[in-house]
Amino acid sequence: MKPGGFVRAMMLAGFLFLWLPILLLMGFAFSADRIPFQWGGFSLRWFGVLAANERLLEAAWLSLCIAAASATLAVLAGGGIAVALARFGPFRGRAIFGALAGAPLVLPEVVIGLSLLLLFVALEGLIGWPAGRGALTILLAHAGFGAAYVAVVVQARLAEAENSLEEAAMDLGATPLVAFRTITLPLIAPALVAGWLLAFTLSLDDVVIASFVSGPAGTTLPIALFSMLRLGLTPEVNALGALVVLVLGSMLALALWLLGRRQG
Amino acid sequence: MILRLVAFLALLLLPGLAAAQDRVVNVYNWSDYIDPYAVQRFTRETGIRVRYDVYDSLETLEGKLSAGRSGYDIIVPTSEPSFARLLRAGALAPLDRARLANWRNLDPTLMARVAEIDPGNRHGAIYLWGTVGLGLRLDRIKAIAPDMPLDGFDVLFKPENAARLARCGIMVMDSSTDVLPSVLRWAGRDPNAHALEDLRVAEQALMGIRRHVRAILPSGAILDALANGEACVALTYSGDVIQAQARAQEAGRGVQIGYVAPRQGAQLWFDMLAIPADAPNKEAAHEFINFLLRPDVMAGITNHVRYPNAVPASLAAVDVAVREDRNVYPDEAMLAESFVASTPPREIERARSRVWSRFKAGR
Repeated sequence: MKPGGFVRAMMLAGFLFLWLPILLLMGFAFSADRIPFQWGGFSLRWFGVLAANERLLEAAWLSLCIAAASATLAVLAGGGIAVALARFGPFRGRAIFGALAGAPLVLPEVVIGLSLLLLFVALEGLIGWPAGRGALTILLAHAGFGAAYVAVVVQARLAEAENSLEEAAMDLGATPLVAFRTITLPLIAPALVAGWLLAFTLSLDDVVIASFVSGPAGTTLPIALFSMLRLGLTPEVNALGALVVLVLGSMLALALWLLGRRQG
Repeated sequence: MILRLVAFLALLLLPGLAAAQDRVVNVYNWSDYIDPYAVQRFTRETGIRVRYDVYDSLETLEGKLSAGRSGYDIIVPTSEPSFARLLRAGALAPLDRARLANWRNLDPTLMARVAEIDPGNRHGAIYLWGTVGLGLRLDRIKAIAPDMPLDGFDVLFKPENAARLARCGIMVMDSSTDVLPSVLRWAGRDPNAHALEDLRVAEQALMGIRRHVRAILPSGAILDALANGEACVALTYSGDVIQAQARAQEAGRGVQIGYVAPRQGAQLWFDMLAIPADAPNKEAAHEFINFLLRPDVMAGITNHVRYPNAVPASLAAVDVAVREDRNVYPDEAMLAESFVASTPPREIERARSRVWSRFKAGR
């Protein structure tokens, strides 16, 4: 069936709704005007100002590092949770385990942030680790709630794929580990990638949990941006937004291209 | 990229190793609320590295400190309510005056005002301060109501004045602690009134102009609205108006902004330099405060942030636009009329927030 005019119009409206604000922001990044959303002629001035603003760039770099590291941890932990829940049969305490693993999905962020803060403070008092709060505690917190999202995504993928393939492999003499590596892992690889991207994104724009568990040298980009709001926005933020969209956009394009090439 | 990531992870896991070699001071403040050059200079002169982190709200700051072991050495809470609350909770360390040679640079009159909250000024030095007043878009007001006297809160709180200026945009900052005392003072009451009857008067005054108020926003958003010309009359902090004025000038669209402190006496607020009780580097923190209280350093900060400071000797090096605006840097007569907000008892606090929510909702 060929899509009609109405369907096309709806699609166009949808894309505009999603992309127009981002395109506007990227456009205004090239405005010379001191007021963030007024056009004052084309200029690269705010990219220069941004390049001199070490604090904002440091915060952006810290956010990217935390997002990448916490997403990786989240994939390891969340992938494990999903395999345990989907393949290990009805072990004792499975229901409780499943509910606990999914808890971060339903708990309000404020509750997660506060309870993690109290946990980290208590742990420091008891065993001296983590020593103080900062980038490490944000990383752990993000890995924790990222894992819950990864677990959901990977579990769905595992539920689709019957475990008859793995059973067949083991009937033919593969050890469980070999079966996991050669059968299960390739099956869930797309879900792992999707889960990683999801956890990465969640970490990159989290402000509530991070502001609870951050400490010295732990100012992430969202916290820095919210703090800038106290004295009003400057067009540097547009420039930074444009750069982030470009960097993440090209990363995503690269990932899609690599995936497409492997399949083709 | 991967190497840097590994190095970054290693740094995370071994925080002690990296920090042990050099001295550090952990500063927790608003973003852009310092002269970046001053920070570089402090490190160059003392060898102490500054780790500058920012908070998104004073509530975040208070929350971190009340959980304990925050790790910060310098914090900059506003006198009322955050500084007062932290003080009452015992979260602030007493300052060691022997290590603060530049303490004598502080204006004794202003420090006496803070002593109403912190007896004997034992826990904090004034960093920057200001008043609460009106940001006005002079060019538009002149066109709409050329005869209106612009000398105080009558412009906003007299309903007939508010009605005339409503179409060009009236805004009020969303902060009951910073607005209600000024309303009480305008109505001829004690700004720190503790009687419900007084609160009713304030509520009537606010509701009387409510339908003319276009928006009740966080102060940062009001700054933006003033700078781009959306707001004609805005009740907000003095420093924000001066920043908006500079931005509007730079944008060059003919938006003229002025600040008016109320004739009846303005509310003063102070952002305080303080050290948390459990700060890990108290010695470095004292050195940092002492450095900031130097006249040349303070002048740099005021020039960058455009808020007045409490070091009179710095004035000579402060930009003329900031120094000579009597509304920004009030003279002694205006200071004598001004007042400092105090923390109301809990039940009055609740009554106040009810008044404020009704004002925000427009009933």
